[in-house]
Amino acid sequence: MARLADLLAIAFLVASMAAFVLGDGALARSDDLRGGYWLAIGAASLWAGVQVARPRVKP
Amino acid sequence: MRSALRLERFPIPGPAAQASVPGVYAWAVTVAPVAWGHNRIPVLAKIAAAFAPIFLLGGVVIERRWGGRGRILSLWGFTLSCAAAWSSAPTVVAPLLSDGVRTAAGMLGWSVFAFAFAGPPLGKGAVVRLADNSPLGARRDLPRGDMAYVAAGALLAATTQLFGWQVAPTERALLMRLITLAAGLAILGAWAGVAIARHEVRDVGAPRARLRAALVPIILLIMLAAFGVLGRFSSEWTRVGWGAASSLWRA
Repeated sequence: MARLADLLAIAFLVASMAAFVLGDGALARSDDLRGGYWLAIGAASLWAGVQVARPRVKP
Repeated sequence: MRSALRLERFPIPGPAAQASVPGVYAWAVTVAPVAWGHNRIPVLAKIAAAFAPIFLLGGVVIERRWGGRGRILSLWGFTLSCAAAWSSAPTVVAPLLSDGVRTAAGMLGWSVFAFAFAGPPLGKGAVVRLADNSPLGARRDLPRGDMAYVAAGALLAATTQLFGWQVAPTERALLMRLITLAAGLAILGAWAGVAIARHEVRDVGAPRARLRAALVPIILLIMLAAFGVLGRFSSEWTRVGWGAASSLWRA
């Protein structure tokens, strides 16, 4: 289960990278709506990836 | 016999003093060429450009007396003076931004200046907060695998810089550089955070708790995906509907 969570975190981080690249490409083509959409996806994926990767500290 | 150099006698420079070096660099690259690089420049631009380093270097002096208030005065005086110089001569700023090397150097200078002002190194006697339950290791020993995480993050962050160098309007090119820089910093920070998180003590029921902690961004992702799918279908339907309506109109 822990390994699965690690893989999920890495998948989120890679997905965020892909979304950022798509967003940058769309913005470079002056497609602002699509660029903002992909950047939002990238930011949310990055947030999810960090949250999943961060272990809960033992109290 | 000459006495040894006692470094502790020298006062530790404050955040304003540490940020003054990249600040002067950023000013020299992005503001000074605007004010003194051309002939027909308004006097207001020259005055504002001259005041900027005065605010910056004056902050080093007044920071010792006024502390944080002097630092804030220096920061806002410097940035507003630079902004006033730029806005007074917009016709000169636009051609300068089309120079890729100068733009990159200016971005680097302003980024380092912002970092130095926002997160200065700890001074003598500063309170250091340590994370509980994390084993402390020697600073020179880099834990195994951390370099791979940081290198992967740096590589991915650098990939975002490949876009937008050929964009034609200057404003769009500047926006692209700003967004790619912000995305790169976010990616690098996330990967560094993951590398640090590896060394914390894991709880027994951690995986489920980790997924629960990511519930909000996962829901946000699902909503964005649904929004994208709905938007795509609605645009297709709109296109089909308009096509049918126009064909009916023509018939």
